Amino acid sequence: MAEETKELSAEAPQTHYSEKEKQEIFHGEFMPHIHSMYNFGYRLTLDGDDAKDLVQDTYLKAYRFIDSFQKGTNAKAWLFRILKNSFINDYRKRSKEPNKVDYQEVETYYNSEDVDRQITPDLRVESLKDMIGDEISNALNSLDVDFRTVIILCDLEGFKYEEMAKILDIPIGTVRSRLHRARQLLKEKLSTYAKSMGYNNTSI
Amino acid sequence: MNPSTPNPFVTNGKKSTCLQMLQVILDGEASEAQKQYFKEHMDMCLPCFKGYELDMAIKQLVKSKCCGGDAPADLVEHIRITISQKIS
Repeated sequence: MAEETKELSAEAPQTHYSEKEKQEIFHGEFMPHIHSMYNFGYRLTLDGDDAKDLVQDTYLKAYRFIDSFQKGTNAKAWLFRILKNSFINDYRKRSKEPNKVDYQEVETYYNSEDVDRQITPDLRVESLKDMIGDEISNALNSLDVDFRTVIILCDLEGFKYEEMAKILDIPIGTVRSRLHRARQLLKEKLSTYAKSMGYNNTSI
Repeated sequence: MNPSTPNPFVTNGKKSTCLQMLQVILDGEASEAQKQYFKEHMDMCLPCFKGYELDMAIKQLVKSKCCGGDAPADLVEHIRITISQKIS
């Protein structure tokens, strides 16, 4: 928390908003993103109560540090960044699961010549058409949280690479390679589902 | 493809691979020149064509199936009230 406080307030030039302006920004620019924020919180924690706590903490923090928010800039990206940092600082530390992902390896691989020669799971568009239930959502939730995050930010929320880099505090190159790997893993999961649903995935 | 057209996917003197091009297109990060180049390339590259179709379908599926609906009403209400009370 101390780290984040420093980070949030040192980041941008401070604007001194009046109480009335603060309320206007909060209700007018922050609250409209509450549903996306809750979904993001839920996908990170995979628990309804934790998601509620996380979103509430994030909004209270956003209000407390509202002077570091520049009116007219991307409020959604700003809020997502606070939520992501709160998750890492307050929730992830509690988790017993260590970070299993070797990013160095991911990135080296992505930038290597081998990237086109990899074996991609042979998943067909037709088999996706029957995934009308929770298959895709379960597949997404089963990915490591860092891979889950980039797919949510990109595919669900439509953030640009540059915005994602700021939200996650990583270089754009890492955003690209992480996304690439995340999608590959998602395809592997979906391919397993497709097989269990009786699809023959071998190409004609 | 016209061989005289410069490849717009070159970064640091290195050509992007098919999969790297595909991702830039898929995520709407491509320039007009890149889009045009990829369109022509896709007509001749079956793996790119299939990859594009599949990745696009998955992207859309994620968008339609993982939104999760609205935040709980009590949460929204609680935040609203807490903040509104902060007016001094």
